[in-house]
Amino acid sequence: MPKFPLKKLFATLFQKLWFNKYSPPTFATMIQKVIFSIALFAFAVTQVSAQKCDLVLRGKILHLENDQPIEAAYVWILETRTGAVTDQNGNFVIRELCPGTYTVTVQYLGHKEIRETINLSGSTTNQTFKMQEESMDLSGVEVHGHRDAVQTTTAVTSLYGEALLQSRGESLGESLKRVAGVTTFSTGNTISKPVIHGLHSNRIMILNNGIRLEGQQWGAEHAPEIDPFLADEITVIKGAETVRFGPEAMGGVILVNPPTLPTNKKHTTELNLLGGSNGRMGNFAASHSGGSEKIQGLGYRVQGSVKRAGNIRTPNYYQANTGMAEYNFSGSIGYSSKKLGIEGYYSYFDTEIGILRDSHTGNLTDLIEIIQNGEPFIKPDFTYEINNPKQVVSHHLAKLKAHYHLSPEMKLNFQYGFQLNQRQEFDRRRGELNARPSLDLELFTNTLDIFLDHSRKSSWSGSVGINVIQQANSNIPGTGVTPLIPNYDMVNGGVYLMEKYLKGPLEIEGGIRYDFRKVSAARFIGNELQEAELDYQNFSAFLGGLYQLSPYFAFTTNLGTAWRPPNVNELFSQGLHHGAAAVEIGDPNLNSEKSLKWVNGLEYEGKKASVEFTAYLNQINDYIYLNPTGETFVSLRGTFNVYEYLQADAFFYGFDLSGTYSFSEKFNGYLKGSIIRAKNTETQTYFPFIPSDRMDWGLAYSFGNLANRITLSNVLVAKQTREPEFDLAPAPPAYALFNLGYNRKFKLGENQFNVGLQVNNLLNTEYKEYMNRFRYFTADMGRNILLKLNYQF
Amino acid sequence: MKNLQKLPLYLFAVLTLGFASCESEDPEKENEGEVITDVILKFQEIDGSNNPVGSSFSFKASDSQGIVVGGAPTIETVTLTRGKRYQMNIEVRNSIENEDITQEIIEEADEHQFFFLGSAFTSNILSISYADPGGKLIGVQTRLTVSSSPGTNNTSMRVVLRHDLNKSFSGASNPNFENFVQAGGESDLDITFPIIIN
Repeated sequence: MPKFPLKKLFATLFQKLWFNKYSPPTFATMIQKVIFSIALFAFAVTQVSAQKCDLVLRGKILHLENDQPIEAAYVWILETRTGAVTDQNGNFVIRELCPGTYTVTVQYLGHKEIRETINLSGSTTNQTFKMQEESMDLSGVEVHGHRDAVQTTTAVTSLYGEALLQSRGESLGESLKRVAGVTTFSTGNTISKPVIHGLHSNRIMILNNGIRLEGQQWGAEHAPEIDPFLADEITVIKGAETVRFGPEAMGGVILVNPPTLPTNKKHTTELNLLGGSNGRMGNFAASHSGGSEKIQGLGYRVQGSVKRAGNIRTPNYYQANTGMAEYNFSGSIGYSSKKLGIEGYYSYFDTEIGILRDSHTGNLTDLIEIIQNGEPFIKPDFTYEINNPKQVVSHHLAKLKAHYHLSPEMKLNFQYGFQLNQRQEFDRRRGELNARPSLDLELFTNTLDIFLDHSRKSSWSGSVGINVIQQANSNIPGTGVTPLIPNYDMVNGGVYLMEKYLKGPLEIEGGIRYDFRKVSAARFIGNELQEAELDYQNFSAFLGGLYQLSPYFAFTTNLGTAWRPPNVNELFSQGLHHGAAAVEIGDPNLNSEKSLKWVNGLEYEGKKASVEFTAYLNQINDYIYLNPTGETFVSLRGTFNVYEYLQADAFFYGFDLSGTYSFSEKFNGYLKGSIIRAKNTETQTYFPFIPSDRMDWGLAYSFGNLANRITLSNVLVAKQTREPEFDLAPAPPAYALFNLGYNRKFKLGENQFNVGLQVNNLLNTEYKEYMNRFRYFTADMGRNILLKLNYQF
Repeated sequence: MKNLQKLPLYLFAVLTLGFASCESEDPEKENEGEVITDVILKFQEIDGSNNPVGSSFSFKASDSQGIVVGGAPTIETVTLTRGKRYQMNIEVRNSIENEDITQEIIEEADEHQFFFLGSAFTSNILSISYADPGGKLIGVQTRLTVSSSPGTNNTSMRVVLRHDLNKSFSGASNPNFENFVQAGGESDLDITFPIIIN
């Protein structure tokens, strides 16, 4: 087979397709290109794979009654005496089978054994087995915990196990940079918001244990109020998931999931102790979970973390007032039986974050002076002290969840969430005002989900449900500043229906949803009462599919609409924004943003290599953005730029690629990269703060029974050359960073002890990141040496 | 587990409680405590031993209330006489709340300082020195000398009030310190007064 020329041909075809400068992309041509690329890939794949005694049996083991995946089920082929154990998503793979007829058995404690005859002829056979629970009076029955793993045909990437362990000590946003296609939009080094495929803030959604996190997410400098330590798995869904999760899930969804509650009497504890040289950071986290001896199925978990850091150092100076403190707690208790499951959960997040002193400028002249200087004027020594300007934020989240099996095929779910978000922002002010916040907000949110899941032994499954979000935002009086956003009440109601069809290697899924939203807002500007009543409504829908192309290849595609009603700040902002020396003016007549996102994923999982490739197109109509008007506002304080909120059609597209390769058992390599293009298609201009092209690759070497591992990695970030027409400063140059890590695993009896030593920015390179709003004022973080201890018992 | 039969009831109770308590507060008027709406320069002619001569006169710069895009503050033209010496006092007011902010600035002397810039000083038409009581360098009270032979009658003076600066920064003791931004902090006021010399 002429492999090489073919490969070359594909490469040239692909290049011609995507990097042809003379045809500006439209939505239609983009779709054509993607279809063609996929066909090209599929063709290339079939060309490369050879045929012999290498058939594969692949499948999924699910609970019959609720379609939840079963972890650690045992799949055995009698004839060949080979088998596999399912992973946490219920998946298993048995390779190297010759064509023929086999007897397959599936076993899982407390469930009826399955014995089926299977005929293997094609290259791959995909089989889903659904296991039925045996009656409860059998001795030794273990009641399983229910876990709502995402089952979607959209591209999904999870961070768990060792990858999550390595990210410990970082904020949620920083941790998620490990996922290809996810970057951060940050304000200094302590505030970072995740960006999925170029979208952030209210255009993505974060779920804390199944409840949509409702803080003041509209603000560029408002980080998600969540402790990454509460999770044992963080999942990123890169598609439009409005139908499943409600409005605003336009660019993607982040699921922060705590571990399943134990249902037996086993007790486990995990301790994490971390220290970082930069900012002299200390971080301690502990979690403990256990089950009741008396009541079977009753389990609990408590978890907490404390973090403290001082001024961050760039290679050449300390950044003034960049310390932070964070205190988190979460606890849950649950009961699970054959028919009923019920869980109570509470999490508390509390943080105080110092804001770089020099980023708080008085007027445009100040701002221009500091930008020209390229670094802060104030360069103090190290201190843990946090002064104004600063943010003090706390977030309470309580949840009550229950499910009941109406019949083996029907499950009724109920979920109620209560959230209270308190945000205070302090500026440098005169006299006693300095002790008072200049922004003081209190946001209450109630969320209610009631839905019915059905799954039959046949191939159909799905759910139908209602979702209610109610929100009340109040400004706490006494700030001495006209509120940036008004007090408001919001109610959002939605009904949805989703169905999935599963047959052999094919999975097809679709859904529709209807939402309405009512917002009533009021505030005083001077002595004048400003009131507004606004209504929004929308239909959304999605259609997706998953197809197992070959033993090693799976293809997913998902086309979904999403919408986002304008946020209160976009509607009603009117005030000074000190960090940008800008006056921002909202528009109460803005329409809802509506988008259509098409995500395609190709997954290859071989013996030595694994590759995940995602390509997407996202057309957003009435995209809301902050536009400089070119006018200025002059006061006794000085001059300010004036920005207004405008709408225009936008088109986003891009690719994510991640792959691993094992050169040998000991020597591994990985590569991750993403490319995003975003354009205002009405004015043919670029939007600000779109991540530039980036790549991260590394090599790992393991030794000493694979218990030791050394990793050297390199992050390459290109200069953002697609800049908007107006920016306060040009995009910073490209940069390259090197990181070095060493991990060691110890077995202490039954217990696991992990030690990690990481050096980030090994060469102490001075750089500025385009996606960091403080690039106007300061260089980014310098070298940071981290020691991470993890003990599980 | 008999209690569990009442579960829907409990759930309903929690729900009603949660949703009922969720309503925003009525908005309240906010006292704009920090806004500076008026800056008044008060001039008193003085003799060689700094004793007052004649009566004082003043000029005012004031802002429109609230944010008006494209709007600009009203700034009166300062008229001074050649060859004379003046004591200048700056009064800073918030007319919305009818507050005198000058006192606050004096109380936080270690965090505030006025700087005086512009062609009036670069062309040597005016010279200025800090004359705050107690020798503090604030600039609420200064002494100005008008040149007896200015090159032009029309000039201007830029008055900048810096907040949260490093007052011991090298050069910051000079009221005409051009590089005041290097001492850190932020501008609370930045006004350019036109000046006519008679």
